[in-house]
Parts: sequence; structure tokens; C-alpha cells
Amino acid sequence: MNPSNTTVVICCAGMGTRLGIGTTKALVNICGKPLIIHQLEQLKDYDDIRVVVGFQAQNVIDVVKEYRSDVMFAFNYDYESTGPAASMGRGIIRARKYVVIIDGDLLVNPNDFKLFLDYPEECLPNSTITSDEPVYLKVKNEMAIGFSEKFGDFEWPGLVKIKTDRLKIGNEYVYELLKPLLPLKTISIRTREIDTPDDYENAVKWVEDGYLD
Amino acid sequence: MSDYIFLFDLDSTITKKEILPTISERIGKLDEMRKLTEATMRGEIPFKTSFLNRVNILSCVDVSEVSEIVANIPLNEEIANFIVENKERCYVVTGNLDVWISKLMDKLGMSNHVYCSKAHVNNDRISQVISVADKELIAKQFVQPMVVIGDGDNDSGIAKHADIAIGFGGVRNIAPSLLRNIDYAFYDDKRCADFLKSLL
Repeated sequence: MNPSNTTVVICCAGMGTRLGIGTTKALVNICGKPLIIHQLEQLKDYDDIRVVVGFQAQNVIDVVKEYRSDVMFAFNYDYESTGPAASMGRGIIRARKYVVIIDGDLLVNPNDFKLFLDYPEECLPNSTITSDEPVYLKVKNEMAIGFSEKFGDFEWPGLVKIKTDRLKIGNEYVYELLKPLLPLKTISIRTREIDTPDDYENAVKWVEDGYLD
Repeated sequence: MSDYIFLFDLDSTITKKEILPTISERIGKLDEMRKLTEATMRGEIPFKTSFLNRVNILSCVDVSEVSEIVANIPLNEEIANFIVENKERCYVVTGNLDVWISKLMDKLGMSNHVYCSKAHVNNDRISQVISVADKELIAKQFVQPMVVIGDGDNDSGIAKHADIAIGFGGVRNIAPSLLRNIDYAFYDDKRCADFLKSLL
């Protein structure tokens, strides 16, 4: 994948209520660094990065711009009444041919993340089920064929690369907007999401141990 | 091509240094000026009151000297180039005084595209401030879809009327009140200019 035809949108407007520490998840400390810095370190080759902020916007901006100042910030102040799809919508204005959308609470194995980024076309990755409340993904012959809130063999980790002109705007969940675009090529990646205090402890240990399973 | 017109704040958006503090530095009144400027940016003193006070601090400097300093103040080059290259669609909306900024406006090709405060001059000194620009009222007059770019508390009103409101924090932090009213924020001159180009 060529960074010059790709826009990256990191959605971190939400409050992270389930984690219960009063900090937006992008700023949660993972092994000495805010989560969003872990993500940005894996996006060094990309020059069109947009971070969608809402809750604690100024704090997220301060942390990100100290790391790199050439990030575009988009605002979703309706974060209490809208979902990640609304944040994504704010971030994709005048986006390039492909857009990579990343949930603000996601940690990815660096090698797997590179494989995903380098994948030459649209891609909807899958992970083994590790979160407490996953969005399940049905996979057949290396194609993602369906989402489910109830059951499935894999989890959708909140990460996708898609052609910008195929994306519709919505207010709820990103996977609702992706449903009509299925089937999509899928690859397996190792990830952790941080929704609850248990997720947090698992993720910290996972990073400390080298992002292995 | 879009129909957007682009409204720019001047101080710390087009310029890379703050204008009034830069001038006050010349006459050893930087501290006094900075305190007033900071309080205004935070929205603690209404712009009009603060601006008149700040003009007063600088009233002992020749208008020609101020105008020269302003004309040579460093600019955010990419943003300034965007204005020069798209002058038909760009406007400067600033509280600053016509007699102080006229040379800089010439340089940017904005002489006929500027909305600002006005003053009378007598013997090369400000004799009277005639009007203090109300940016929100000015923005309301525009009938074309608008993109506005600013950084201060007094840009919040203008941002509310914009179709796309942008904060530029490359020189100083975007005022908290403005941060609540913008769609996008940039902290890098080039990145901001690239986005503006994508909106042409």
C-alpha cells in the first residue's frame, strides 16, 4: 500500500465509560506511553493522519502534537449521543483514495499491523476473540462475509482499509456502514481492545510479553 | 471546484509572530501588552475594550514605524502562499487597525479583501480609533459558503457562521472557546494549507 494514496483516521472521541477511569481511552497508559502514541509509532510512514477527538479533546491534542505536529484533528462533540461512525464521518472529509479507520482503543501486533497496511487493496482484518463484548466476524475462504453481535469464530478488531468513495456516512457503528460492502478480503491479525479494566490488564501484559498471541 | 470563500484571521494565523506584542517589544512594553493579549485570548476581557487599551499602549509609536514592522513580520509561509495564490477567494478579517496593516495587506494582495478596525492619523500618530471590527457581524454579511481559519476567542463567533471552521494552533494554542466551535484543527502550517487546497 502506498501511503500517498491513503488517509488514516483514528477515532477517539468517546468517553471510555466501561473502563471507568475517567480518561479517554486514547490516553490510557500502556507500558509507559499513551495508547495513541503506540498507534502513531506504527504509522510513521503515513502523512495524512486524522485524529477524531471529542471527550478531553485538548488533552488528546496536547499528547499527539507533542509527538508529531502534522496531524489533522477533527471534532465530534456529539460523542455522547453518536457512535464511532459519526466520528469516522468527521474524519474522512476530502480523504485520499483509500482510508484506514482505526478504533482509538485498539492495540495491534506491529508486524501484523504492517502486513495489514501493506496489503495492496481493501481489507477487513479478523482477530481471535479476546474482548468481553466483541463484534463477531464470519470468515470463509479468506473473505469476511458477515458481522454479528451474537456469535462467530472471529472478532472484528475495529480496523479496516476501504476505498473512500464506497463509504457512506452514519451515526452509529462503523460495522453497520461496512455491512453492505461485504464480502471483503480478510487477514488474521493479533490485537487487543481496551473496553474494560480486565481488557486493560490483559493488554498491558500482552504488550509487555511482545504482542504474541 | 467548490464555491467556498476563505476568511482568515490575521494575528498568529497568517503571521508567525503576534503583531501587537512584537510592536510593544520595541518600546519596552511587552509585559503589559502580553498580559492584556493573554486575557483577551482567554475571553476574560471583551475584545473591544482590550483592543482600545492595547492601541493606547502603542499610541506613542509612529504609525509609519508600526506599519513597517507589521509588513516585515514573519508569516506562516504555506498559509500566506495559499492566500496569494487564491486571492480572489480569500478575505482577511481582523480586529487590527487599517493604518497598521495596510502594507502587509498589499504584500498579500488583500488590500481590497480586508475587513478590519479603522483609525484616524494625525502627524503620524493615531488620533482616534473610529471603529473596532466585530468579526461575527462581518461573517454574517457573507452570502457564499465559508471556510474560516482562526485561533482566538474572538474567532468563535465567526466560526459559528462558517460551513467549515478551522482552528490554527501553530503559533499559539487555540483558544478554548474556539476549540468548542471548530470542525478541524491544525498545528502545522503546511498541513493546514494542504487541507485548504483540498477545499478549493
